[in-house]
Amino acid sequence: MILKTFHKETKELLRDGRVRLSFIIVILLLGIAVWISAKQYQSINEQHAFATQTDRTLWDNQGEKNPHSAAHFGTYAFKPKYPLSLVDQGVDKYAGTSIFLEAHNRNEAQFSAAADQTGLSRFGDLTPDFILLFIIPLLIILLGYNSFTKEKEMGTLTLLKSQGISSTRWMIGKWLALFLPIFLITAILLLIAGILLSSLDDFGVFNWSSLLGMFLVYIVYYMVFINLVLFISSRVKKSGISLVLSLSLWIVACLAAPKAASNVAESKYPYPTRQEFAAMVSEDKKQGLDGHNPWSEESKLLEEQVLKEYNVDSLHKLPFNFDGYRMQKGEEHEARVYFKHYNYLKDQFEQQSGIYRVLAVISPYLPTRFMSMSIAHTDYASHWDFSDAAENYRIATQKFLNDNFAENSEYGNWGYKADSEFWQELPEFEYAPPELSTIIDKNKSNLLILGGWLFGTFGLLLFNTKKL
Amino acid sequence: MIRTTDLTKKYDQLVALNNLNLSVDPGEIYCLLGANGAGKTTTINLLLGFISPSSGSASIGGMDVFENQKATKSLLAYIPENLMLYPSLTALENLDYFSGIAGRKLPKSRLELYLNEAGLQGEAFDQRISTFSKGMRQKVGIAIALAKEAKALLLDEPTSGLDPKASNEFGQLLQKLREKGVATLMATHDLFRAKEVATHIGIMNGGQLKQEFAANDISLSKLEQAYLETMDYKEELS
Repeated sequence: MILKTFHKETKELLRDGRVRLSFIIVILLLGIAVWISAKQYQSINEQHAFATQTDRTLWDNQGEKNPHSAAHFGTYAFKPKYPLSLVDQGVDKYAGTSIFLEAHNRNEAQFSAAADQTGLSRFGDLTPDFILLFIIPLLIILLGYNSFTKEKEMGTLTLLKSQGISSTRWMIGKWLALFLPIFLITAILLLIAGILLSSLDDFGVFNWSSLLGMFLVYIVYYMVFINLVLFISSRVKKSGISLVLSLSLWIVACLAAPKAASNVAESKYPYPTRQEFAAMVSEDKKQGLDGHNPWSEESKLLEEQVLKEYNVDSLHKLPFNFDGYRMQKGEEHEARVYFKHYNYLKDQFEQQSGIYRVLAVISPYLPTRFMSMSIAHTDYASHWDFSDAAENYRIATQKFLNDNFAENSEYGNWGYKADSEFWQELPEFEYAPPELSTIIDKNKSNLLILGGWLFGTFGLLLFNTKKL
Repeated sequence: MIRTTDLTKKYDQLVALNNLNLSVDPGEIYCLLGANGAGKTTTINLLLGFISPSSGSASIGGMDVFENQKATKSLLAYIPENLMLYPSLTALENLDYFSGIAGRKLPKSRLELYLNEAGLQGEAFDQRISTFSKGMRQKVGIAIALAKEAKALLLDEPTSGLDPKASNEFGQLLQKLREKGVATLMATHDLFRAKEVATHIGIMNGGQLKQEFAANDISLSKLEQAYLETMDYKEELS
């Protein structure tokens, strides 16, 4: 009976001109979105490779220079474009692509794609994640809103009942007929994306297991939508009402809930403004050692400690250049200040994420979106991870330069210049994003919520089917 | 095969069916006549198990309809007044699906045989139901009953809206089923068709079975008179 119903429903769907047209539109949109994203991905990757190489060449060819001058000359950490961002661009567009690494300051990522675009970018882009998150649920509604209501309206339900139909098997047949085309569309899209990505010369951290993980997340999301749409269709008598209710559900789940979650999270756990943040950092910096100021109270205190430690009475008698040493200690103080304030931002971010998780119980969109972005390395957590790695590299770079200054010159010798080959000894910035297992571990709550949605709606559907 | 005992259905104060006792044996066609609201459709819905009785019992093949829904449904077929099938599927596909639902897995040749037996022309087998007239849809309904090898057939106004030719063909199909030993209960307004096809006729009014006849024992005019009397149309007779 399940197979019969599945075949019957599939035949009906395929013979419905509106459904065929919808399929063609969705597949075309998907094709265009993947093609555009692939082009963007390739172009950004080329830019990334070019910028990384150019910046490193500039760094390596500074010639003879004082290490602290080189520290102010700075270098860049370029955020890699991850392969699965082809499918889900997440917050990449707004998060900035490169961080300028210099002495004394932790800078924000800059040159976001959104900043380079006109106001028209507010209309949004045609990306695969837009199709996956918004359009395919709409397609599910279009295919399934009248799944049961048409049987009531046409009168076939009476005949089916008289034939002794098993409601549960009938429902499973209908469910499968709705699920299969959605499964195929998603599978084809992600398969094409996977083939495209794996055929690129430099496809970075792409792996099929991440793509499979993303596929499973979307499939569960669609299963939830299928369950809800079929539940509505089985509960109401008229197709029109079923369509309106299903569309209302889509509006709430995909449009209203994410915006409401964003508003609630922002109002409950606001980020400080840029000015406030800068003022707080500046104030805390002043409370500690400034590596550039040998006359400050903190600097004098450091001098006393070092002289005592090395049992000498003059900074000139130290086995290293105290200027370089002080610069390093100043960097360490500034780094602590930045960690403190950025940790506060991260805490706020975590609290906001908590609000999203709570509100995910009213929308399966939210956990799906978070997990999709997370797997694609395009969520804020990934951006934080990259930003922290860049900061760690900045701190290590400053130590590398200050140590050279301290170990190869004498106190007061600001005219010291490192060899022109020295810069090449600085290790390159390398960043590996979190592994899939780490991402899954971090998204346990999202997984649980999405699982709750899946089993909850399945239960609802099965329970209701007995009343058909 | 089809039996009701003191079958009663009440909706609050309204008595839709009152102590109905009837039986239809294999090879019999029992026509229930009556005006709208007489209780004919309620009787059929009770026998289908779509609604539960307030009191009394109904059985198909000796099994209580309400206690053995699955088993009794496997014995019966039902054709409503306006048989609705899936318009985008062909006659053959509809028959295949409805037979499959009833647990009958039949090869295409058998399905074609049943459609043919139901009086459908071969060229219509692969046509979509959306192109079918009501008479043709009713024939597919008969084919569904044939494919199910139903022992009991419940018909609710099956000839309503059919042209005389189609109605006549439908009557002939019922006779074929009767010869196969199917017990048929048909609710209808059509006195002429009832007299033509039935072995037994009952007249209902106000939820009660008022009169019963063996079809051979009563002429059409007498049947009409009995019907009108039962419907309280005595003024018209005078």
